[in-house]
Amino acid sequence: MRTIARFGYTQALVGIGAALMLAQASRAEPGPDTSAWACTQCPFAVGYQGDVELGALQANGANATFGRYTGIDHSTVYADAGADGQWRSADGSYANYEFERLGLASRDGTVQGGREGQFDLRLRYDGQPTDLYDTGASPFRNDGGRLALPADWMAAATTGAMTALTASLVPVNIGFQRRTLALVAQYFASPHWTLFGEFSRQEKNGTELSSASFLTEAVQLPQPFDYVTNSFNAGAAWAGSKASLRLTYTDSWFEDHSDSLSFANPYLPLVPGSTEGRLGTPPDNTLQQFAASGTAQLPWLATTLTYAASIGSLRQNAAFLPVSTLPDASVPTPGSLDGDVRLSHYAIGLASRPLPKLSLRGNATYDGRNDQTTPLALPYVVTDTFPGGTALTPRYGEDRERLDGGADYAFARWLRLGVGGQFLDVRYSPGQAFAHSQDVESWARATIAPIDNLSFTVKYGDGLRKASALNVAALPAGENPLLLDYNYAPRDRVFTTLTSTWAITPTISWALEGYLAKDDYRSSTLGLLASHEQRGSTNITWMPRDSLSAYLDAGYQRLYNMQTGYTDADAPPWLVADTERYWSMSVGGQWTASQRWSFTMDYLHAPSYGDIGSDLGGLSQAFPQNWSRLDSLRLGVTYRWTPALQLHLRYEHESYNSSDWALNGVGPATVPNLLALGIQPYRDDVNLIGLTARYQFGLPAGASRSR
Amino acid sequence: MDPVVRAGVIAAFALLSSAVIPALAADAGDHVAAVPIPAPGAYSPQGADTCLGCHNDASVTGIFRTKHARPNDPRGPFGHGGLQCEACHGPGGAHVAAGGGPPAGLVVFGSKSPSSVAQQNANCLGCHKANAARDWSTSAHASSDLACAGCHKLHVEKDPVLSTAGQIEVCTSCHQAQRADLAKPSHHPMREGTMACTACHSPHGSSGPAQLVKNTVNETCTSCHAEYRGPYLWEHQPVTEDCTNCHQPHGSVQPALLKMRTPFLCQTCHEGAGHPSIANTPQGLPGGTPSAYLLAGGCINCHSQIHGSNSPSGRALMR
Repeated sequence: MRTIARFGYTQALVGIGAALMLAQASRAEPGPDTSAWACTQCPFAVGYQGDVELGALQANGANATFGRYTGIDHSTVYADAGADGQWRSADGSYANYEFERLGLASRDGTVQGGREGQFDLRLRYDGQPTDLYDTGASPFRNDGGRLALPADWMAAATTGAMTALTASLVPVNIGFQRRTLALVAQYFASPHWTLFGEFSRQEKNGTELSSASFLTEAVQLPQPFDYVTNSFNAGAAWAGSKASLRLTYTDSWFEDHSDSLSFANPYLPLVPGSTEGRLGTPPDNTLQQFAASGTAQLPWLATTLTYAASIGSLRQNAAFLPVSTLPDASVPTPGSLDGDVRLSHYAIGLASRPLPKLSLRGNATYDGRNDQTTPLALPYVVTDTFPGGTALTPRYGEDRERLDGGADYAFARWLRLGVGGQFLDVRYSPGQAFAHSQDVESWARATIAPIDNLSFTVKYGDGLRKASALNVAALPAGENPLLLDYNYAPRDRVFTTLTSTWAITPTISWALEGYLAKDDYRSSTLGLLASHEQRGSTNITWMPRDSLSAYLDAGYQRLYNMQTGYTDADAPPWLVADTERYWSMSVGGQWTASQRWSFTMDYLHAPSYGDIGSDLGGLSQAFPQNWSRLDSLRLGVTYRWTPALQLHLRYEHESYNSSDWALNGVGPATVPNLLALGIQPYRDDVNLIGLTARYQFGLPAGASRSR
Repeated sequence: MDPVVRAGVIAAFALLSSAVIPALAADAGDHVAAVPIPAPGAYSPQGADTCLGCHNDASVTGIFRTKHARPNDPRGPFGHGGLQCEACHGPGGAHVAAGGGPPAGLVVFGSKSPSSVAQQNANCLGCHKANAARDWSTSAHASSDLACAGCHKLHVEKDPVLSTAGQIEVCTSCHQAQRADLAKPSHHPMREGTMACTACHSPHGSSGPAQLVKNTVNETCTSCHAEYRGPYLWEHQPVTEDCTNCHQPHGSVQPALLKMRTPFLCQTCHEGAGHPSIANTPQGLPGGTPSAYLLAGGCINCHSQIHGSNSPSGRALMR
């Protein structure tokens, strides 16, 4: 272990040393005499300018579907406010601020200050709501971090027999809020040296959808959580005329403010005492990394070298929970994992243009995940119900080496050919189902421009992944010996892309993109057998002048997966084919009709369809089609009342509907052994109207700025 | 890391160091063919003052509200001794001497420019190759002959690609498949304009896969989703290896950005004797015999700790 670490540091130090010597070796190029270049006509920004925006948004029909990321999740009036401003003095001191969406949970803002060429400080806040579901209901109540059932709860063997269920249900909202505050500092010690540091704190709390079981009886849970991630990174960057170096130290520590989630068993206990369950929650962890990266321009054949080296460790040592909630359960020994995963990353890239028409590039990358955690043999209890024996905790590490590169040659103005490929070799740590896998891909590309402003690029490639034989003996005791991991499984891949761009006229341009890929797992007799993808998209834009533009986009995607399995050795195989089709069509544009009026419009129509067919012993059955349909219309009108004051009227309509057989009509008691939250597929039908006024300060008379 | 590979990497660093340093120390001249050193007098007489004598409309002077025109910043083109407009557009002496007209010899930016992409980019990289664009030369965007000005607008106060919403428009104008993905039912908050492409990707290149900002897929994902970093007591191998084994980060028609829906996603790996191999058919839907293997969360109804568990009894990721 120590030897590996020492070699890792050695590699990093060698790289850093090489770059530092490069720094000393480089020289500045001579330049022209600019002593008479006074720049007296240059309208440098000095003074203060800013604007403030204030208004309101009226939302009708909003719910978690619409508000998932916007924070507009119920029908009401929201404040719509924002501001930005810049102040700058002649000596180079400056201060800026920018705030957006202040009336919504997705608000963000930045305050920045500093002096040109000397230092820069920035304080940034970013709010990100995530509303997931507002259609669920549960009998569980959060009682100080424990999910409890009402006092009059009547446990039963099935959900249908839970007589107090209906009366006990209370609505639950599944979602969370992420808030990030970051302070970023840069000190420009010289034109070549920059020192930098950043501290950020991200808080993420709310309620997530979780679940658990008591052997054969499951329950969905509204799990409260409260996470904090603090991160700090600092370093120095040197930039010379021919080389650069950047050194960074990163320290990040994640805190989970609860170590477990306890919940009452709503079912009749399968064994005496099994009245409560307990889930482990993410353990506190830390990540420390030291990284060096940079570039050097080599004196041969216009060649550039890029390099990166990083070493780090990921640790956690959170105290173990008791093995079970059952009586007499104790905390196993040792009392914590002392988890230690060493991460390393080394990369070298070379890009060269040895001839004016020939460009070459290549990269060699190594990523190591060396799990140095000691495997533990621990007694365990199955779902707080009965002892399961003792099992060894498997550890997973890998060495991943990747070589990729390509060459392009411009044979003529209208023809450019390229070839390239990638070799990926992954060696898995002992104890895993496979010892190693290799994935080789190669491709060829031709770009043809038959006429001016029209070009086609066709790329064709194939790949082959091979893996070592499945090592059944290496599987952990009790693991399914027929486990067949598709991310290891041998795979044949063929892919083709076609892209085309055409400037049909000086004002009309068109683009096309197509993609076909086939992954076949011909050696697999179980699990995933094939995965195919077809994509196509096109775009046409019309821009007769800066003040007027319009676009039309259309896209299609089809995904197909086929898999098979056996319920048991004597049963006929089952086969499942999953086909997903997705369309997107959008149209829109913007028009600045006059000095006062401007208009924007965007419309999006995006339906999807999912069809799953199963075949069991020759009996074919199709699942109901899953589908979704999104229609979104956004209109905006801006009226510039005075050079400093503009009014903005915004209208948005979104209609979203979906059907999902896993959720349709599945209530808390639909499944006898699953007490579900009853979450239903996403739907919304929202109208949003907003009116804001934006007032600009500090502008010269007659001037205007567009945002 | 294999000792042979490790030794190779060390040798490569050493070899490059020994070869590069003397060569640079000798510094026989500029080897960047795309940026020749101009002859004396090739520049305009008075720099920006000369240029602004003609080019003084708002579409040009907008640059004076940007970082590229800071007179007190010695690193910028308008800092003391900087080449001002000609730092990017190249020597304008001939253009001035000709009294304007076609900008012969100057670098003009944009897709309709007579200047080649290599010429345009060389002038940008002259300053930025050592910092923001240090990985540019080996990037996929460079390989695709993409011009810096294809994404960046320097003469406007706020370069659209530097704002979250503007960046998504710029990136998806080429990456149309991703543009479509962002409107799928399950997606990151990009269509809503609160998350940028650069939260995960480094468009100027990186040493990670798919130009990710971090070394690996997992390091990138867990920079926001730190709760999944682990290491857990009980781990799920595909999770430790690569989040994209199960998730489609740009968008999915399945919940939680999954590639397929449960239980079928799980059954791409888990087969054999026991319930992982159960043939899930429409018989398990409401109206038939509603199955907890199929409905609501499917496999996740019981195996909820799918990203790993730190409970001593989390062996099957159920606690």
